Amino acid sequence: MFLSAAVRSAVSQTARQVRNLHRSAARAGAGGIFVHRDTPDNNADTPFEFTEENKKRIEAIISMYPVGHKQAATIPVLDVAQRQHGWLPISAMNKVAEVLEVAPMRVYEVATFYTMFLRQPVGKYFIQICTTTPCMLCNSDSILEAIQNKLGIKVGETTPDKMFTLIEVECLGACVNAPMVQINDNYYEDLTPKDIDEIIDELKAGRVPPPGPRGGRFSCEPAGGLTSLTEPPKGPGFGVRADL
Amino acid sequence: MLRLPVVSRSLFPAALTKGGAAATNNVRTAATATAAAPNLLEVFVDGNPVMVEPGTTVLQACEKVGMQIPRFCYHERLSVAGNCRMCLVEIEKVPKPVAACAMPVMKGWNILTNSDKTRKAREGVMEFLLANHPLDCPICDQGGECDLQDQSMQFGSDRSRFTESKRAVEDKNIGPLIKTIMTRCIQCTRCVRFASEIAGVEELGTTGRGNDLQIGTYVEKMFMSELSGNVIDICPVGALTSKPYAFTARPWETRKTETIDVLDAVGSNIVVSTRGGEVMRVLPRLNEDINEEWISDKTRFAYDGLKRQRLTQTMVKNESGQLVATTWEDALTRVAGALQGVEGNDVAAVVGGLVDAEALISLKDLLNRFNSDTLCTEEAFPMAGAGSDLRSNYLLNTGIAGIEEADLLLLVGTNPRYEAPLFNARIRKGWLHNELQVALVGKEVDLSYTHDHLGESATVLQEIASGTHPFSQVLAKAKRPVVVVGSSCLQREDGAAIMAAVSTIAQNARVSSGVEETWKVLNVLHRVASQVAALDLGYKPGVEAIRKNPPKLLFLLGADAGCITRQDLPKDSFIIYQGHHGDVGAPMADIILPGAAYTEKCSTYVNTEGRAQQTKVAVTAPGMAREDWRIIRAISELAGVTLPYDTLDEVRDRLAEVSPNLVRYDDVEEANYFKQANELSKVSCYLTPAYPISRASQTMAKCVKAVTEGAQAVDEPAIC
Amino acid sequence: MAEYANLVRRALGQLGGHGGVRGLLVQFFRVNDVKVGNLIGVDKYGNKYYEDKKHFFFARHRWVIYTTEMNGKNTMWEVDGSMVPAEWHRWLHCMTDDPPTTHPPEPKKFLADIHQINVSGSRQQYVPCTTTRKKIHEWVPPKAEAQ
Repeated sequence: MFLSAAVRSAVSQTARQVRNLHRSAARAGAGGIFVHRDTPDNNADTPFEFTEENKKRIEAIISMYPVGHKQAATIPVLDVAQRQHGWLPISAMNKVAEVLEVAPMRVYEVATFYTMFLRQPVGKYFIQICTTTPCMLCNSDSILEAIQNKLGIKVGETTPDKMFTLIEVECLGACVNAPMVQINDNYYEDLTPKDIDEIIDELKAGRVPPPGPRGGRFSCEPAGGLTSLTEPPKGPGFGVRADL
Repeated sequence: MLRLPVVSRSLFPAALTKGGAAATNNVRTAATATAAAPNLLEVFVDGNPVMVEPGTTVLQACEKVGMQIPRFCYHERLSVAGNCRMCLVEIEKVPKPVAACAMPVMKGWNILTNSDKTRKAREGVMEFLLANHPLDCPICDQGGECDLQDQSMQFGSDRSRFTESKRAVEDKNIGPLIKTIMTRCIQCTRCVRFASEIAGVEELGTTGRGNDLQIGTYVEKMFMSELSGNVIDICPVGALTSKPYAFTARPWETRKTETIDVLDAVGSNIVVSTRGGEVMRVLPRLNEDINEEWISDKTRFAYDGLKRQRLTQTMVKNESGQLVATTWEDALTRVAGALQGVEGNDVAAVVGGLVDAEALISLKDLLNRFNSDTLCTEEAFPMAGAGSDLRSNYLLNTGIAGIEEADLLLLVGTNPRYEAPLFNARIRKGWLHNELQVALVGKEVDLSYTHDHLGESATVLQEIASGTHPFSQVLAKAKRPVVVVGSSCLQREDGAAIMAAVSTIAQNARVSSGVEETWKVLNVLHRVASQVAALDLGYKPGVEAIRKNPPKLLFLLGADAGCITRQDLPKDSFIIYQGHHGDVGAPMADIILPGAAYTEKCSTYVNTEGRAQQTKVAVTAPGMAREDWRIIRAISELAGVTLPYDTLDEVRDRLAEVSPNLVRYDDVEEANYFKQANELSKVSCYLTPAYPISRASQTMAKCVKAVTEGAQAVDEPAIC
Repeated sequence: MAEYANLVRRALGQLGGHGGVRGLLVQFFRVNDVKVGNLIGVDKYGNKYYEDKKHFFFARHRWVIYTTEMNGKNTMWEVDGSMVPAEWHRWLHCMTDDPPTTHPPEPKKFLADIHQINVSGSRQQYVPCTTTRKKIHEWVPPKAEAQ
């Protein structure tokens, strides 16, 4: 009888494993899975408490919304929680629900909907590399390779010292400055493998390199210099009929 | 999906009350001015004109002319979500098809419910819905009663252009009652809306987005609601099915019997599905006045108790004290012989909570022939003052539906969530839509809506009655106050005092509110199905009379609450137990007469609002069991005092003689003679009050285990 | 004329072959048929086996008149096809033309010494034990404590 129970549990375990193979790419990717599984560093008992400073921030955020519409503050308060903790453990979501006086499920719904809410632990520097078509055409693959070689991790992994997490993302809207990566809140654009090496070195040294395009151009102006509006602007009355 | 009734409620309270008042005024004016109503709109459905009120949706307008629009997410009793898109219809001169469930009609619209564009839209939506729906109808429990199945046959295409692999979603464990096969889910969110709006437990929700959107609880937990079984009915596909019913029967092979439930005092209308003389499942039946279209989990899932611990043959105690099976002739002769030897106060009867009115009247008639009037119910009720003489004193006078009109509710010593889940659902409905304010005196419990907890002790009641409590002012301002006292708190020693205080409060509130005479303030919420009929027929509530004056012969009719034990009686006393379950009463009996349970007899029950309803025979009683009144009739004949009725109709004539309201079925008998003059354990709703049927039910036992130890405790090996 | 004479002769033959009017009527009510033919043999239970190839077509040309008492059971009116023992069964059903009187069967272990009549419908019939679960589980009263 014990043997049969053992066999049965083994079979059901294997069945679950087999089932996991069927996961679609999206589920295994950035969004993660949309159910919570208790892990040692992510469970309902994970300590989380807003700092005094953040409590004031939350108060200010809530005061922006009409009375009785505290729920509207879900996204900004979740963002505050994520900035404080680096990512969103289940206990942080529960805390947000408690602060906003809504059911925890309503917070989970929001947190799972937006991919920018990170429900899995990430390193201190969260590197999101864009590999969508425009970046790919500007050789984002070399940037990806450079990061992987530099940090010794693959896409979706975190360095053992919990400093860097690398993921591949779709278009971040900086196609004109391709290729680019986003590290935490900063965009680093017009990258070459050498640039990304330097950026990572800087980060490792504890400094935050200035965001923006590398290679000297300002913001998203044309790469080869201005092609129009090169002369000083004409004064008022330019091109207007003389008799007016 | 991010709907929060609490918020909308607290934001627009004024608007809501005004709107509500305006609406009632409108109704009144419409009723008085039956002629041309100026505020109606004329719209056309496939060219047929129909007059509708402004704000009517396209779908409702179509329904008014009898045209059903296919739908999955729309449900009359839930908020409109508009996310399944199945109800797309074309409207003349509107460029795109519109979702009928969410679009209010405008004047002069011609809704085309069967145009090419409409048909094409439906076909396209159906193709998308089926893209990710597994085609496992042969092994799906919803097969045969599945909205998706039916509507894809009626409105879908016969082929699909989908060649990719289908999405799979992992199943959730949300307790021992509901089986989830989430791959089948089409994300209509009916269950999510039901949970947050009707049941008041916001534990279900949608997680993820796009193709990966799934319904669930995100964290592993049980769907803890006393109404949870209803999500099985509202699920249009086989994603949420009944765990106890899984793989046992198909809808087309069951026989349906429309009957009523007796496991609480609400008297929910149910349909019992049977196959081969076995109850397969219990479903709700529409009754707007009682249960709308919901039933509680106990009603739905306790049916397996009907198949266990049953008394199937007559038994007598032999010399060694062991109960052994015998024949009806032997048992009835012994009972009749025992009865003939006693007279007057030496014979008494106790009736339990599941006994029907026919059995009550025949037992009363039988004992009256022996000059005994010691007929008691297990449930106590204070007899001080008017006691049970005035019918309005022990009824839920306002009615279950009437609570929706109230604006202030005071609950005394009751937890309607467990004692009468559907009454609680009505209170929640009033709280949500009609600004009902709820206050509770008694043990603090989670009622699924906000309420003021005034205190636990009876002194609070005295204070409110005397006007010294702050709540008295609130009560005095109420326009339509309702006071509901739970029968459980009347079981206490000071039950009479509580009842007196409550009726004073009710009378004060009545005077201060100045409501019309037809509005009733004082209400009693009973816990057991037989109590109102028993009081109507003149039974004495409580077993005090028997304790004071122990009889030589005690007749237990389904009495399983253990109010009277052997120790309360003289040593040589003779106990007859008649009932359908071997529970508390049967082991102490000298003779056991097997009776029929509520699915096995055609009988009358009166619910807590005084509404007489009848059960119908769904299956035959097991073994040698017989209908209760017939057994008593047979005893009377053998005892030489033949009762003057042979058929059910004759018994009911006798019922009408004693209390005419008992045979006016499905009608509330108004009782308007107002008196001029807590013990709630948080174990679980599944066993309160403890009935033999729910105690014998394994499903209910699993629920209790799941509630106390977590859903994982009853995790069964998955079958599929 | 010769036809009628033949008919009369056969009718008289029936009377004689069954032992008079009474025998004929008994035979008629037991078997619903009256036939005379050559007695091929009698088994040890008393069943008589007849053959008449001349007057009856194939398959009606062999028949049995059952014994009136077999294995202690009165079979005067309750006759049953299974009263025919195995060795006669093959001859009666035309599997062979050799009756066991001239060609006794080879003794086999599996051949029963005493032929059993089919017991279906009687108390001895085989009833398989049920494998379905009970629909109703009855209450079992607790054991009375020793007093």
